Amino acid sequence: MQTLTVKFTKYDLAKYPFLKETADYVRKLNFKIEDLTSPELSSILERAKERVEEAILYALVSRKLHNAEIEILSFPVAIMLTLATENSFIKKRYALAESKQTYNDMKLEPKEKILAIAQNFEWAIQKNDNDNIPYEFKLHFTDFIKNTTHLRSGKWKLVNRILYKGNVYLTRNEAARLLSEEVRRHIEKRLEAKDTPKFPPKIIELANKIKQLSIEKIGKAEMEGFPKKIVQAAFPPCIKNLYKAITSGRHLSHIGRFTLTSFLVNIGMPSENVIELFKNFSDYNERMTRYQVEHIAGERGSRTRYTTPKCDTLKTHGVCTNPDEICKKIRHPLAYYRRKSKSLPK
Amino acid sequence: MSGVIRVHSKFIVNQLFRDYYASKNLDVISPSMMNKREFGFLSFDNVMIRHKSFLNKNELFSFLREFVPADAYYSCAYYENPQANMDAKGWLGADLIFDIDADHIPTPCGKTHDEWTCIGCGFSGKGITPEKCPVCGKAKFETKTWPCEVCLETAKKEATKLLDMLIQDFGLSDKEIQVFFSGHRGYHVHVESQAIRALDSVSRKEIVDYVSGLGFDVAFYGLYKGKSKKHFHSTFLNISGWRKRLVSGLLNFIFNAKAEDFKKLGIKANIGQSIFSNKDLILKTLSEKGELGLIKNVGVKTWKKIVEHIVKVQSAKIDTVVTTDIHRLIRLPGTLNSKTGLKKVGFPLSAMDDFDPFKHGIAFRKGALRVFVFSAPAFRIGSEVFGPYINQRVELPTAAAVFLVCKDRAKVVE
Repeated sequence: MQTLTVKFTKYDLAKYPFLKETADYVRKLNFKIEDLTSPELSSILERAKERVEEAILYALVSRKLHNAEIEILSFPVAIMLTLATENSFIKKRYALAESKQTYNDMKLEPKEKILAIAQNFEWAIQKNDNDNIPYEFKLHFTDFIKNTTHLRSGKWKLVNRILYKGNVYLTRNEAARLLSEEVRRHIEKRLEAKDTPKFPPKIIELANKIKQLSIEKIGKAEMEGFPKKIVQAAFPPCIKNLYKAITSGRHLSHIGRFTLTSFLVNIGMPSENVIELFKNFSDYNERMTRYQVEHIAGERGSRTRYTTPKCDTLKTHGVCTNPDEICKKIRHPLAYYRRKSKSLPK
Repeated sequence: MSGVIRVHSKFIVNQLFRDYYASKNLDVISPSMMNKREFGFLSFDNVMIRHKSFLNKNELFSFLREFVPADAYYSCAYYENPQANMDAKGWLGADLIFDIDADHIPTPCGKTHDEWTCIGCGFSGKGITPEKCPVCGKAKFETKTWPCEVCLETAKKEATKLLDMLIQDFGLSDKEIQVFFSGHRGYHVHVESQAIRALDSVSRKEIVDYVSGLGFDVAFYGLYKGKSKKHFHSTFLNISGWRKRLVSGLLNFIFNAKAEDFKKLGIKANIGQSIFSNKDLILKTLSEKGELGLIKNVGVKTWKKIVEHIVKVQSAKIDTVVTTDIHRLIRLPGTLNSKTGLKKVGFPLSAMDDFDPFKHGIAFRKGALRVFVFSAPAFRIGSEVFGPYINQRVELPTAAAVFLVCKDRAKVVE
């Protein structure tokens, strides 16, 4: 691996506030959460609030580099504000906005800078020195697949890439795009923090203002759930097929059973009714079925309800059948159900 | 082992398994970092024992000798507390496992040796189990499979394709890869590599899609429709990986294609004829430049059909669920498979061609047993061929007799 030839400037740290170097810089300043509400630091708090608001409004976060110090410090504070909202939508939105901005900035950077940022995330990345392959970088496939799971275009599928001796070949633009995914994951992880400190009243107040803004901007539509009654006509083709199989006692693979069960419990079918469905099987065993269904429904064990596998996964395991027009617009069987049940006459 | 196996036969098989595990030179391979692995065992009474862990080889061997499992498994995963229940195990990572089983692959033998019986009406037949019983329409069957040489040879070919991808494309070294005969109808490939260990299920799915060619899109291989004319821009086609596989597959297909091959792919006769009469030109540009030249009458749609066929042929047919399951229990190398009495046995990658499952998988090399065979196709154990048998009493070498008994095709007689 090449050694770092680039040193990050203060300007870089402000532009890419998620870097380890930025965190080190902030640590050296040694400022505390209580200091935030003091008048001298009000500009940091103000800028932090603005960051999250920009994220909600434009899904981008501007870069104000003329005052690098404030810019640098406002990032961890913005993270704190977002945490204080305790709202998963705002958290996702903020991570997305910072990463999109990063992508816009990074694609204009020279090769070396991109390498340095990638190595900051411990990517196994190198400049491509094979003249026969017209790409600027090569990246170990594990770093590639970790960051492509959310990307939908076929160009991000490993099978459509040049994969040679463990490396995937990338253009500069592609490297920047994947790095921005890494940034998104990095920020989302920071926003998952469970043991948050007790926030000062001022922070709570700002967090509430941000929440208000998100409701105005996004509306409640996004949070809307599923219809109260089960609407069979709104099942996606894969689920229809599984449902037909189970009601006729036809054999279902393990993954098929899991998909159907998790789908049904997620749209609100009581476990009891799901268990009833499995009675058609020749290998039916009430105790076993109950255990598994209740486990998936989150009524046992870890108490987390399993979600249905997404379309991608169902394709891999051959559960996806006869996709229709709606399937083209969604990535998850539950999204299909939500969408279709809305369009059906009540 | 099948539930209907006769009591006396079961007793004899159990005894033989006991002797096998008691052997001084027992060749069971203890997995790396074994104290971080979960072990599971199926007893001869069909009870599954899970969440076992062993600190060392001696502990494991003592257990095998005492318990005498019908089947023995260990986890591909490493855990902080392998003995805890699933929620408290503390997943640390997992090896990457591939399972290639004849059950999942269409084979030239057509599985004519497999038998199914409708539970509803008792109607039975051979080959692939139908969706519904042709007589009573019910969909519940009892099946008896059979590991034939053709099935296993087909599985081996799939394993060979997979290994090529793991080494050439994924850059894994032969030190990181182990190949095993499962003891029944297929092969297992284990990858132990630092880089892969931490990958989650979603990332492993991407590896699965790669080897099985899922999501393959010709547009990213330079094969797409241009604005004004059909345009095959495929300059980088022969670099490596799927590109190289595609070129060699295309060369092979075009070189050997007959009229019916085109028909099978849904290509019209006149278009097939155009390809046929330009064969030399196509082969030349393809092998020299890695490009598909412009051929009159032959458009993107046609090439797409051919390419998709080649992807199907060149992909490795693996059990997708096994590879994406990061908690999977897999058969422990060196232990016996109760479906056959053969053992799961590994071999060096370089010995792939010479490996013979019906020879190297034999566990019982001594003695003979008298059995009554209900029905069995001809089969080979070692260098000897036995059968076919139907309702007859025969004395067979132990390995052959156990094989039939385990497949529920025979019972031991006094």
